Amino acid sequence: MARKTDEMQGREGLEDLFAAMREERVPPSDALMARVLADAMAHQPRPDPQPALKPGQGAAAEAGQGLWRRLAGLFGGAGALAGMGTAAVAGLFIGFVQPVGLGVLEEAVLGTPLETVELIPSVETLFAGN
Amino acid sequence: MPRDMQAEDPATAPDEALLARYAAGDPAAARALTLRLVPRALGYAARMLGDRAEAEDVVQEAMLRLWRAAPGWRAGEAQVSTWLYRVVTNLCTDRLRHRKRRPAAALDEAPEVADGARGAEAGLIEADRMAALQAALDALPDRQRQAVILRHIEGFTNPEIAEVMDIGIEAVESLTARAKRALTAILAGRREELGYGEEN
Repeated sequence: MARKTDEMQGREGLEDLFAAMREERVPPSDALMARVLADAMAHQPRPDPQPALKPGQGAAAEAGQGLWRRLAGLFGGAGALAGMGTAAVAGLFIGFVQPVGLGVLEEAVLGTPLETVELIPSVETLFAGN
Repeated sequence: MPRDMQAEDPATAPDEALLARYAAGDPAAARALTLRLVPRALGYAARMLGDRAEAEDVVQEAMLRLWRAAPGWRAGEAQVSTWLYRVVTNLCTDRLRHRKRRPAAALDEAPEVADGARGAEAGLIEADRMAALQAALDALPDRQRQAVILRHIEGFTNPEIAEVMDIGIEAVESLTARAKRALTAILAGRREELGYGEEN
């Protein structure tokens, strides 16, 4: 067998050493793993129950969303807030328009014009049957 | 947390998916990333610095930067492992520069290959061979050492090394070629001790 040149032997030997070093593990100490995990926990963002903003939505949108979220929380959720909003708009509407058409409805249902409505029955009414 | 996030096994999930889960508050993702990335980063840092304690500090700092970067991580922009190796490389370079400013330990104080009768008769045990290679790596210029470790120990491709080192692919090829020639020359006088001096 022909003798290998020094350069060839050197190259092959180096590849062997590289291969051996690839196999050699440098296991991390338990202390290092604990330190890294402690850092991870310390810097981990808190879970956000709301969906993330889409790209393009800016800080103003985020601030607005935060305000609505807080208001909805105050009134018991977004559904309750929407219901309150609708009631407020309906009240404003009735206050501004003259509800003349209600007279027609009242005569159609009751047969006579209605002057007053007793919303809280009197005690006599409750005992009337006795 | 969305159900599709919970369904994916942390052990097999891609790095980027785990980082997104970490940013969403999943502690299991932090554990999985730590178990996966720390051993690799530590091996690289230890070979770059030749000092285990310093390597651990570097890895902790690099991982801390990863945790901080997680909430703003942009999907598809960079591979997590490449990004981490880049940070480790920069931290190691800083430490090596700092060492050179101090009254440095001379190269001939680097771990020596065992010599004498034990080496001649029985050859070197594996630890000694690794010590010899580490000493030769330590003797290389920093950039050559980075390139050759990334290519031949960590198994990165040249384009990946180019990204980690922020240089062109041709520069990577040049650095690794020069590093291998230098290593061969450094180790030339020790071939018999290293177990490849005799004719095959």
